[in-house]
Amino acid sequence: MVLAVAAGLTVLVGVRAASLADVSNALLAFDAADPTQVVIRSVRLPRLVAGLIAGAGLGMAGTVMQAVTRNPLADPGLLGVNAGAAFAVVVGALVTGYSDGGMIAVLTFPGAAMAAIAVFLLGGARHGTAGPVRLTLAGVALNALLLSLISAIILTRSDVLDAFRFWATGSLSQANARPLGLMSVSLVLGGGIAFLAAPRLEALALGSALARGLGSRPGRVQMTALAAITLMTGSAVAVAGPVAFLGLIVPPLSRRLAGHVLRRELLVSAMLGAAILLLADTAGRLIMPPGEIRVGIMTALIGAPAFILMVRRLKPGAFA
Amino acid sequence: MKSSSLVLPLLLLGAVLLSLMIGQVVLSPLQLWTGLWSGTGPGALTLRVLRGPATFTAAGAGAVLGAAGTIFQILLRNPLAAPDVMGFMSGAGLAVVAGVAFGISLPLPLLSAAGGLTAAVAVALLSVRRGPVMQSSLTLILVGIGVSFLASAASSFLITRMPPQEAADAQRWLVGSLAARSWQHAAQVWGLGALMLLVLALQVRALKVLELGDELAAGLGLRPGRARNGLIGTGVLLAAAGVAVAGPVPFVAMMAGPLGMRIAKVTAPGARLCAAAMTGAVVTILADVVARSIVPGVQLPVGVMTGIMGAPYLLWLLSKEAEAGEL
Repeated sequence: MVLAVAAGLTVLVGVRAASLADVSNALLAFDAADPTQVVIRSVRLPRLVAGLIAGAGLGMAGTVMQAVTRNPLADPGLLGVNAGAAFAVVVGALVTGYSDGGMIAVLTFPGAAMAAIAVFLLGGARHGTAGPVRLTLAGVALNALLLSLISAIILTRSDVLDAFRFWATGSLSQANARPLGLMSVSLVLGGGIAFLAAPRLEALALGSALARGLGSRPGRVQMTALAAITLMTGSAVAVAGPVAFLGLIVPPLSRRLAGHVLRRELLVSAMLGAAILLLADTAGRLIMPPGEIRVGIMTALIGAPAFILMVRRLKPGAFA
Repeated sequence: MKSSSLVLPLLLLGAVLLSLMIGQVVLSPLQLWTGLWSGTGPGALTLRVLRGPATFTAAGAGAVLGAAGTIFQILLRNPLAAPDVMGFMSGAGLAVVAGVAFGISLPLPLLSAAGGLTAAVAVALLSVRRGPVMQSSLTLILVGIGVSFLASAASSFLITRMPPQEAADAQRWLVGSLAARSWQHAAQVWGLGALMLLVLALQVRALKVLELGDELAAGLGLRPGRARNGLIGTGVLLAAAGVAVAGPVPFVAMMAGPLGMRIAKVTAPGARLCAAAMTGAVVTILADVVARSIVPGVQLPVGVMTGIMGAPYLLWLLSKEAEAGEL
């Protein structure tokens, strides 16, 4: 329901206001001469699809990460997975000179996977009991390193402030130039893997010894989780750049809505993630028209206070 | 005098020379020397207009950041506690960006000091928990990271509202940049830095006593709360003086203390602060040299280089702390 409203607002609201009739016309009886309909088809709909992909991907990726690490501060943005995907794309563009859809699709996934593996190893998640402090700080360090490298590469050319902003904070404004179709496929793939593996992930969250007792192999389950996180985060970054904090805010909310059943949590976080991202994007476009605030900044403005709140809620024992 | 106490001054001298020599045009020491005395030739121009101000601004900013970081590292007994990690520098940066965006005509050091102090107070207040008092230094650090996220997001938000050219400049500055520094910047950071270091020198005794623990400190006739607040204030103001001329350069404040301690082989608080100040200067100067010469024809912001150098250090620190069972 919230998602439907958010999606509706994305299409309707903007520099050029559109009515519901315009939207249905644009979809069903397209008239290329009507500028409002052209805007809807060529700008707002891609934006909507990109928001759905990125929001659902980051929301679910955050939920899987928090379930696997049992760490309420885990988020693909904060732990540097987003930055890894973005870094791979930027390096690819530097080396080959291409930054088209296919190139992005080939590069975001290995980038995300390598960053995820790195942060989990460095953060001590291999032993199943990564303290939130260590994992978070490892993420901060990895993020700082990758973002510094991204700036180093991009700032060597002076004409690309917009590209820099996209790959440093994330935005939905370039949605129509992104490989939307391909990325929605990989998102569904990643979501499907997470959904199928959900019961085993829950068992793993009880601790690896207990999980083994229940008949699952922790190593294999962790690899599955990694694959799901990589697919979902990679798709999100390919269409929207590295948007942080969404994977941090969504899981606790969806846990409250869906109870503690991981499959239901995943479904709820996909919808909630998309809804929050679209609302944040719409708000960012409304604050100071005709300019817009990139959605990555909007999520950070909401997410940073949420981060502080969650730190305050950590049990004292969590630091030991 | 031990030989290890000479290492840092020599390193600093070497870094300054290197920084004056290397750039778009590489100068020999001889050219610098003749330029210095004759006032003509390529050496003189580089020294007086281009690399001289940048080098001395870098040295000053690095020194104040290094000293600031060490104050917090000693007070909180944690190598992760530094004004860059804990958001004080992002707060100072936000205040400067806000000043530019809203056209507030206050001097930059005042703005950045106000921002840094506000961020410090925010971190302290937000870390206080209800119920049993469990204000570990790790809570402070994590809350500080959150405040830093918030301040950076707010800065980016404000930058979006600026005209394009101004926005590009502000973006570079927020990464930490020494481009286009003049002697005024150098004089400003050296002046304010010297003043604050003087204040710090008066507080070193308190820092030494606080290191022994609050109860012992009180027994020795010190009011622990007041002494600690005074030191925190000095630390934030030192960091703010650095931010005002170089932007929120990441990781220098965090790295300088432990590195300096190791290079100079010192343990007493006063000596650690001196070593950290010199190491901070060396690190910042060298990072700037690399940043402006690594890609021909392009000046990268110095913060990009300190980020690339500092992040692996932070990761190394984490794995070491984990082995020691600290995290």
